[in-house]
Amino acid sequence: MIELIPVIIILAFLFETMDSCAGMGFGTGLTPLLLLMGYEPLQIVPILLISEAITGFTSGFFHHEFENVNFRIKKPLNKETKIMFMIAGIGCLAIILSVFLTYYAIQLSKNIIQTYVAILVFAMGIIAMFKLKSKSSSYKPKLLTIFSGLAGFNKGIGAGGYGPVVMLGQIFSGIYEKTATAIASLSEGIVCVAGVAAFVLVPVITSQPIEIDFILLPSIFTGGFFAAVISPYLVRVFPNKIWRIVIPVYAIGIGIYLLVKIYVL
Amino acid sequence: MENKNQQNDLILNEIGYLAKIRDAEMTILERMKIKRATKYHIVGAITIYSITMLTFTILLP
Repeated sequence: MIELIPVIIILAFLFETMDSCAGMGFGTGLTPLLLLMGYEPLQIVPILLISEAITGFTSGFFHHEFENVNFRIKKPLNKETKIMFMIAGIGCLAIILSVFLTYYAIQLSKNIIQTYVAILVFAMGIIAMFKLKSKSSSYKPKLLTIFSGLAGFNKGIGAGGYGPVVMLGQIFSGIYEKTATAIASLSEGIVCVAGVAAFVLVPVITSQPIEIDFILLPSIFTGGFFAAVISPYLVRVFPNKIWRIVIPVYAIGIGIYLLVKIYVL
Repeated sequence: MENKNQQNDLILNEIGYLAKIRDAEMTILERMKIKRATKYHIVGAITIYSITMLTFTILLP
């Protein structure tokens, strides 16, 4: 029998609303909160990946439907679709690496890595705030590739901070905020499919079975799914200048939240 | 170099330009009137949710 937990549904709804509106924060924000609530990593990480895989595609579809972006699957692919595939491709490689690193238990100082991600996200948010006054910037494909790689690296070392770097990297590279959100949502959906596949395949390859607890899945999916449907509409309806402020402010908030989590809680 | 910059500016016009054009000079209410969720969106979303939850009910231990 499926169990629905109201608190988890509300939290998933709120974090997914922000994730689909600002392109970041679902994994980075919800994971530490669920850990604080007493859930185990294997009750959280695979479940968030499964949920994000479904909600990422849902959100991407509705962003397209509400015309925040124009994805074209038929050839020739347009620029928006190519950028989405580039970001998703780097993310897929990174998440597979991340699962392997977790398995082979490469000793990396967790606090140092998390501090680096928190400071990176915080600094990018601050820079984005300073860039608010500039009306537009020219498209910088090389910069976008660097940020995609940086986000992939973050995901690869398993410290979160993929969404904020991808999102702010797109904005720094000259992509319109609403479109950047849509690209981030769909690419995250694809990356999470690779993540789920890695969670299934790596134990088979390494012959080390893992026990995944699915108790949170129905609740997280319920909250996340309806947020993924509503958020693209909110992105469409509210003017872009609001998202230009919300996105960096939210990134700064995530950076501070991570630092508090590491050094205070 | 200049040609490359011009090319990048053209691409900028392409990335998100449709969303940008639609946004121009419109109020929130005007945007709400122009693009609404249709009954197909709502029915589609509820159907996908129901099918997924049914799948969870069948597959999850």
